Amino acid sequence: MDFLTVFTQPQLLLLVGLGTFAGIYVGAIPGLSVTMAVSILISFTFSWDVYPAISLMIGIYMGGVYGGSRTAILLNIPGAPSAIATALDGYPMARRGEAGTAIGVTTVMSFIGGFVGIAVLALAAPLVSDFALTFQPRDYMLLAVLGILLVGSLSQGSLVKGIFAGALGIAIGAVGRDPLTFTERFTFDISLMQGGISFIAVMIGMFGVSEALIQLHHVDKAAVRQKITRIVPSLATVRKHLPLSLQTSTIGVAIGALPGTGGDIAALMAYDHAKRVTKNPERPFGDGAMEGLVAPETANNAAVGGAFIPMMTLGIPGDAVTAIMIGALFIHGLNPGPMLMIDKPDMFWFIVGALVTANFFILIFGLTGIRLFTKLVEMPRSVLIPLIMLLSIVGAYAVNNSITDVYWMLGFGLFGYFMRHYGYPLGPVILGVILSRLLDDNWRRAIISEREDFWRFMEGVLTSPLSLVLFVSVVLIFVSQTPVWTWGKALLSGRPHKVSGNEQHD
Amino acid sequence: MQHIDPEHHDGTSDATPGGDETCRRPGELAFAALMLLASLGLLWSAYGISGFEALSSPGTVPMATTLVMVVAALIVVVKTALQPKTTTETLAKDILPGIVIIFAAMLVAYGFLLKPLGFIPTSALFLTASIKILAKRSWAWTLLVSLGSLVVIWLIFRIVFTVLMPVGIVPEAEVIQFFRNLLNGAGT
Repeated sequence: MDFLTVFTQPQLLLLVGLGTFAGIYVGAIPGLSVTMAVSILISFTFSWDVYPAISLMIGIYMGGVYGGSRTAILLNIPGAPSAIATALDGYPMARRGEAGTAIGVTTVMSFIGGFVGIAVLALAAPLVSDFALTFQPRDYMLLAVLGILLVGSLSQGSLVKGIFAGALGIAIGAVGRDPLTFTERFTFDISLMQGGISFIAVMIGMFGVSEALIQLHHVDKAAVRQKITRIVPSLATVRKHLPLSLQTSTIGVAIGALPGTGGDIAALMAYDHAKRVTKNPERPFGDGAMEGLVAPETANNAAVGGAFIPMMTLGIPGDAVTAIMIGALFIHGLNPGPMLMIDKPDMFWFIVGALVTANFFILIFGLTGIRLFTKLVEMPRSVLIPLIMLLSIVGAYAVNNSITDVYWMLGFGLFGYFMRHYGYPLGPVILGVILSRLLDDNWRRAIISEREDFWRFMEGVLTSPLSLVLFVSVVLIFVSQTPVWTWGKALLSGRPHKVSGNEQHD
Repeated sequence: MQHIDPEHHDGTSDATPGGDETCRRPGELAFAALMLLASLGLLWSAYGISGFEALSSPGTVPMATTLVMVVAALIVVVKTALQPKTTTETLAKDILPGIVIIFAAMLVAYGFLLKPLGFIPTSALFLTASIKILAKRSWAWTLLVSLGSLVVIWLIFRIVFTVLMPVGIVPEAEVIQFFRNLLNGAGT
C-alpha cells in the first residue's frame, strides 16, 4: 500500500510533478545538469520530511534523463550525457522538419523504458536485498571499488584519470576523525577539519560552480528559438517499435543496475544493439532512423529504475545521481542497504510509487508543455550563470549554516573547473566520497574477521563465488588498460564525434 | 544553428567530456605535476595516521588510496609530458580567460561578505555586478533582472524551503514580522 502514498497525497503528487517539470527543463539546457540540480536541492530540502524531499528529487532525476533528448534532437547538443546517442538520429530527423515527430516518439519511448525499469526495480530489488544479506564485508568492499572503477573507466576520458579521481574521492571522504577509533585523518591539526568535509559542499562545488565557470566560456552563444509541429505519435508507430523498445529497455535496466554505470552507457549500448538487430530501417542509421531514437531513449530511462536497484539494496549507487540520492537519505537519517529494505520497506515502495508518478508526468509534460519549454529554454546564459552561482552558495551554506562549507564548496568548484579542462571525470570523485566510509568500514571488518591475515583474506575472496566474481571484475578493469580496451572505447566514443564532425561540413 | 565548438575541450555540460586525449593543453602538465605533489603530500600524511601498525588500523585505507593516487598521478604526468603540445590554445584564452578569473574573485568576495553584510545585500551586489558584466545591457534592465530574481529566490528559499541565511545588516525578522502583522491585521 505504501506504493500508493504518492497518489493519495496531493502535496507529494504536486512535488513530483514540479520536480519532473524542473528536471525536463534542467535536462534540456546544456550546462544545467541533473547532478547539479539534485546536489543543490539536497541542501534546500534537508529540513523537509523525507517523503517530500525524495519526491522532488526523483521528479528531477526522471525528468532530467528525458529532458536531455530535447536539445539533442533540436540542436544536436545533448543536454545530458544520456542523450548523446539520441542526437545521432534525432538531429537528422529535426533537420528534415520532423522535430515534432522525433520528440513525440522520444517521449512515448522514454515512458515505456521508464516503466520497464521501474517494474524490474519493484520485482528484483526485494530479491536482491535478500541475497545481499548473505554478502560478506569483503563483498561490499569489492563492490564499492568496482563501482568507483566503473564510473571512472566507462564514463569519459582516460581510465588513469578516473582512478585518480575515485581515489581522491575516497581520500576526501576519509578527512576528519575516524568514526571507529577517533584518530584524526588528513586534518593537518586544523580544528575545522576534524568534522570532515561536507560531501554536499564537494558535490555542489564540483557540479554547480565548476559547471557555471565553464559556461562562462560560452556566454555569448545566443539562446535558440525552436519551432515544433505535430508531436503525438501514431499508435501504429509505437506498436511497430514496441519489440525493439522492450529489448533496449532490458539492456537499459541491466546496465543501470551495474554499480557505477548509468544511462549514458546504457543508451550507447542500446543504440549499438538497435543497429545490429534492425535489418531494414526506413532510413539508414545516423540519417534519421526512428530505431536510432527508440533504442537510446528507452534504455536511458530504463536505466533509472536499474540504478535504484544497487542503491536501495546494497547502498551502492548506480550512477552519480543515485550517489547524491544516497547522500540525501543519509541526511534524513536513513542508511540505504539491505537493512533499509527490511526495516523500512515503505521507503522502498514509496520511491517506486514516486518513480511511476514521475514517469506519467514525463508523458504529460512531454506531449503538452512544448510552448512553455520553448520560452524557458530561451533564458539567456548571462542571467543563468550568476543564478547558478548564487544557488550554489546558498545551498552550500544552508546545510550546516556554516560559512566554512561555502569556502570548501568554492574551493572544490575551482578545482573541478580545472579537472574538467584537463579531462579528469568528476563522477568518480563523488562516488568515492559517498562510498569512502562503506569501503573503509568493510575493509576493516573483513580483515579483523580474518585475524589481520591478508592471505587468509585473499583465500576468502578466492573461494567464495560472489567475491571471486567481483574480484575478477575489478582485475579485468585494470587489465583493460591494454590496447584492446582503447580500441573498444574508440569504437564507443568515436561515434558521437564523427557525427558532430560531419556537421561541420554542412 | 549553434554547436558546441569541438575545438573547445572544456567539458561543457557533463555530456561532452573535457580534456584532449591527443595533445597537451596549456597548463595541463603543471596541473598534473601539482596533483602528483599533492598526492605525495597526502600519502605522507596518511602514513602519519597510524603507519604500518595493523591492516585494520585507521590509516590503512587512506594509505592505500593515496598510494593509488600517487601512482595514477605519476602515470598521468608521464603521459602528459609525452604528448605534443597543443598549437591552437593558450592559457589566457582557453583555460583561464579574464572573465573566469573575475568571477572566481567575485565568488570568493561573496563568501567573505556573506556573514558580515548579510544574504540580501551581498546577493544583490553579486547578481547586479555579474549580470551587468555578462549581459552588457542597460543599468535599468540589469537592476530589474537581478533584484527581481533575488526577490523570487529569497521568497522561495526563505518561505518554501525555510532556509535561514545570514541576515547581516538587514533586519529580516522584523520585516517578516511586519508583513505578518499586516496580514493578520487585514484578516481580522
